[in-house]
Amino acid sequence: MSAYFAFAKSAVMTQLAYRNEVWANMFGKVVQVFARVAIWLAIYAGATSIDGISLQQMITYALLGGIVTGAIRYETIISMIGRALQTGDVAVWLLKPVSFPLYIITSELGRAAYRLVVLVIPTVAAVALVYGMLPPASLFYGAMFLAYLALAYAIIALISTLFGLVSFWLLTSFSLEWLMQALLNLLSGQFIPFWFFPKTFGDIAAHLPFAWIVYYPAAVWLGRMEQTETLIYFGIGCGWALLLGLGVAWLWRRASTRVIVQGG
Amino acid sequence: MTLLISARAVSKRFRQPRRFPGFLGALKSLVTAEYTEVEAVRDVSFDIAEGEAVGYLGPNGAGKSTMIKMMTGILVPSAGELSVLGRTPHQHRMANARDIGVVFGQRSQLWWDLPVRDSFDLHRRIYDIPAARYADNLAQFSELLDLTSFLDRAVRQLSLGQRMRAEMVMALLHDPKVLFLDEPTIGLDVVAKDAVRKFLAKINRERGVTIILTTHDLQDIESICPRLIMVDQAKLIFDGALKDLRASMGTRRRLTLEFATDPGRLELETARLSSDEGLLKHYQIEREDVSLVDVLAEVGRDRALKDIVLEEPNIEEVIRTFYQGRNAAAVSA
Repeated sequence: MSAYFAFAKSAVMTQLAYRNEVWANMFGKVVQVFARVAIWLAIYAGATSIDGISLQQMITYALLGGIVTGAIRYETIISMIGRALQTGDVAVWLLKPVSFPLYIITSELGRAAYRLVVLVIPTVAAVALVYGMLPPASLFYGAMFLAYLALAYAIIALISTLFGLVSFWLLTSFSLEWLMQALLNLLSGQFIPFWFFPKTFGDIAAHLPFAWIVYYPAAVWLGRMEQTETLIYFGIGCGWALLLGLGVAWLWRRASTRVIVQGG
Repeated sequence: MTLLISARAVSKRFRQPRRFPGFLGALKSLVTAEYTEVEAVRDVSFDIAEGEAVGYLGPNGAGKSTMIKMMTGILVPSAGELSVLGRTPHQHRMANARDIGVVFGQRSQLWWDLPVRDSFDLHRRIYDIPAARYADNLAQFSELLDLTSFLDRAVRQLSLGQRMRAEMVMALLHDPKVLFLDEPTIGLDVVAKDAVRKFLAKINRERGVTIILTTHDLQDIESICPRLIMVDQAKLIFDGALKDLRASMGTRRRLTLEFATDPGRLELETARLSSDEGLLKHYQIEREDVSLVDVLAEVGRDRALKDIVLEEPNIEEVIRTFYQGRNAAAVSA
């Protein structure tokens, strides 16, 4: 266990070594968040509420939406796995008494924690100062938001790892990064909350694991779900995480068997 | 001595997709797949005991790396039985990993962006090395290989020689019983090669770490490994001590006698005169049991002998003779 914690820590240390990147990223992030808020300001165009969602709620949703996807980089996970498989460096990992996928996940989570603190929270706070942001609907929703947030990081990390492992059979990870980006944009609720989706499509999207990455944490913060519903959906999300974890374990087993049988 | 590694008729075949030439070929390979079988290791057997240092030698593509990968558990043999420390490597990969150290000359195991020291620390966590043991090993190895000056530098800033030294130390930090090295001296300069060889010989001698290294640099074998396993075209062609290779090759020691006054054409029982330059006479000693003393006794005291030079055939020569002999045999067969 201490090894995985060390992976996360050393990932943070590596980030510290590239400090200039932080400032460049910070600037990019501020622009992005402003843009997202500006889009909603334009859509509302003076209206105070659309479909029962107030502008203030919508801005809050837009700000919360960046907390997970702004901190974790699915493309890093996918390309790191893709590269290790392509260059054969994965063999080196097969020689160590630790799990390679868990190494990839924990080191990206380390970087995500770092970006969350130095990049994401400051930008969200800065934009919130300009446009205002609603507090959590209640103490219960605030606490559940944190639980959902942790789950969101686990789910996005696991989905990215799954995609990365698939690259072993496709021999390219680039196309998978694009696919992941598209699925994330559409199905996580990052750009448009499910409230504005056509009913059937919204219902389907709300039950796919991507929904737990952006939609549910923000919906919980805003108190858009009943308390029991909040707990039930947390359970479903945990179920998805478990399933994804099993999927990663299974694919990794197959990938590493393929390496050791065929020599990569 | 206890047996650490045993290979029984181990073979490894790879299935390689066939590539079709040209643009049409590239299109063709989108829809069809043809495979050719390549045999990298054929029917190789050997035993390695605890504390041995074995050089695994052969030309490029002879199946050296494949054998190392099978012994470390990251490749599965196609046939035969392989046991390392009493386990079948690929079935007990994790357990095996804790007991072995592996160094790839062409593949780094250090973390590129981190200082060497941090890579070592991660290694400590991965292998759960007790703190005291770790500090002790690190201090000892760093001194032996002179790492202290660059321990705090990022790996990407190191020279190849420094990096290889660091790789070697890392592979030994968890006190492995066996150390596998796949071409550890490749690309190193003379000084770095020498440092690496001395270090490995010392580790083998003083810590009793069993060493198996592949190389095509014969000097590596000469200075580290008393035992030699030679492979060629996937097959084992020699397994034994270096000096036995010399003997079995029938390579001759060369003797040069220098005289103050020319004693004339001097034929000897113990050595065959191969060329006569008057004061300098060259002989070949054909029998293994003939010693220099025997030769001197035969020459006698009263011949104005000024100097003698006895040359052992060098290993490059031995091996060249070996391969040439084999090829000649293959042609005549």
